[in-house]
Amino acid sequence: MNAEISLQDRIHTILAALTTVPSDEISDGDRLREDLGMDSVASMELLSMLAEELGIEVEMEEAVDVATVGHVVALAKRHLDAR
Amino acid sequence: MLAESALASDEADLVSSLIDSVDRYARDRIDARGIDRAHQIAPSVLRDLAEIGLFGLSIPERWGGAGLSMRAIADVTTALARHDRSVATTVGLHLGLGTRGLVAFGSEAQHERWLPDLAAGDSIAAFATTEPDAGSDLAAIRTRALLRDGALHVDGGKVFVTNGGFADLYTITASTPGLGGARRGHGLLVLERGDPGVRAGAEEDKLGLRGSSTTTLHLDGVVVPKDRLIGPPGEGMAQLAHVLAWGRTLMAAGCIGTAEAAISAATFHTSERKQFGKALDRFEVVQDQLADMAALRFAMVALVRDVTALEHDPAALLARSVAVKVLCSEAAWEIADVAVQLHGGSGFVEETGVALLLRDARITRIFEGANDVLRIHLGLTEATNPREPASLAAHGPIGLEADAFVARIKSFRTALTSTHGVRLLGKQRLLHRLGQLVVLRDAVHAAVRHASDDPDRAARWLSLARQRSLVLLEAS
Repeated sequence: MNAEISLQDRIHTILAALTTVPSDEISDGDRLREDLGMDSVASMELLSMLAEELGIEVEMEEAVDVATVGHVVALAKRHLDAR
Repeated sequence: MLAESALASDEADLVSSLIDSVDRYARDRIDARGIDRAHQIAPSVLRDLAEIGLFGLSIPERWGGAGLSMRAIADVTTALARHDRSVATTVGLHLGLGTRGLVAFGSEAQHERWLPDLAAGDSIAAFATTEPDAGSDLAAIRTRALLRDGALHVDGGKVFVTNGGFADLYTITASTPGLGGARRGHGLLVLERGDPGVRAGAEEDKLGLRGSSTTTLHLDGVVVPKDRLIGPPGEGMAQLAHVLAWGRTLMAAGCIGTAEAAISAATFHTSERKQFGKALDRFEVVQDQLADMAALRFAMVALVRDVTALEHDPAALLARSVAVKVLCSEAAWEIADVAVQLHGGSGFVEETGVALLLRDARITRIFEGANDVLRIHLGLTEATNPREPASLAAHGPIGLEADAFVARIKSFRTALTSTHGVRLLGKQRLLHRLGQLVVLRDAVHAAVRHASDDPDRAARWLSLARQRSLVLLEAS
């Protein structure tokens, strides 16, 4: 649970930097576009940044389906668990 | 000239008549250099164009417009742009960005209230989205519309609003936090010139398109009923994307007009001007330049034809409008530049008119999406959702060559994605190269599909595109 919270915090922190929404106001249910104001370019760049920061290799096809903060966390966790 | 068969028969006669009216009127009453010097289009010109019916081309017949297809509107826009780009921009903005949001997403009540006057040209539309801190980054807009006590309270400001100085109706993009349950949604709103708090600023003094009105728009304590919102709350960005798709495609059609005017001037000049005992067009280098201009123009027309045919497929139109905008704006600039060069010193002097074509063309590489940003978007889209154009083998040898060209770009894309994976999405330089290759690919595909109309120009364009792709494919 602590490791998951830590991952969640890291992702929220990255999102806060990308979107100017404070990290403590970001929740897993937030939609990247409607709630965080991220367009398709920013959403894709987010995943690229996560790959760089977390050292995970996300497939392009997985990236297309990410629509919420929770999806981002789950995607990252899936890849980290598989390592 | 490409075959007109794509226009529905009931439209073809109307379009031909409209273009004839535009040409006759423009020859007598539109003085491009005079408009440029005055920094203004005479209001009487706009009234006359409204009488011809130009302001209603994109508005449904039910509301007094002509309800033409996108292809037909593009053809008329091209015709107008051949004569003067400021006039074409004024009308084209109204037909595209200015009214499209309302036409596509407005309610019955909104249509009834505004479209008849817009169709008649009694009301002119503008579109306001860019802000000082939000140009390419439209999601960063700060103009806000908050719902309070049943009304929308709008505060903020816009810059570079085309038609801003005299528009009667503005479609603006605003952040709409909380509206419809979206924390950071956006919306398109209709504001009228007479709404308290809406104020257009002074006219900008520009490099080109000097006859086209460009102003700031100040929104201070504007309070309007919530029925000014277009469509469901929070859908502004999706709506904006659709509106931009229309605007970009019609702008591309305008670029064809610029290109044709430049080619016409260059062709005439080089046939008349003699140096070293012969007309300029007898020299090989000049012949090559003229041939390249014509090939590039052929590609522009072909791609606009193909993209306008996607009018009823919004997703495809959205995707393809970016490439046609980049191709046509760059091509118009290139062709106008060569026209100036071929005129020699007289090209640098306003009297020949080619300098004006060049100045007016410059902004098209910037507005409605700066081309370098659009290239990155194209690369991003191609990387994440690649498009596989249909084989052109049925078009014979040129089709096979085009297929090989397309295959080479596909290989490049595949190599990028397999080398970099999702990290590619953060590599701007590579996405930019891929995006430009997508532009060339789409233009080659379109030109070859229409190759039977002018095989030589299609072949020359394919050759040019191949040359231009080499530096992109082989850069380290």
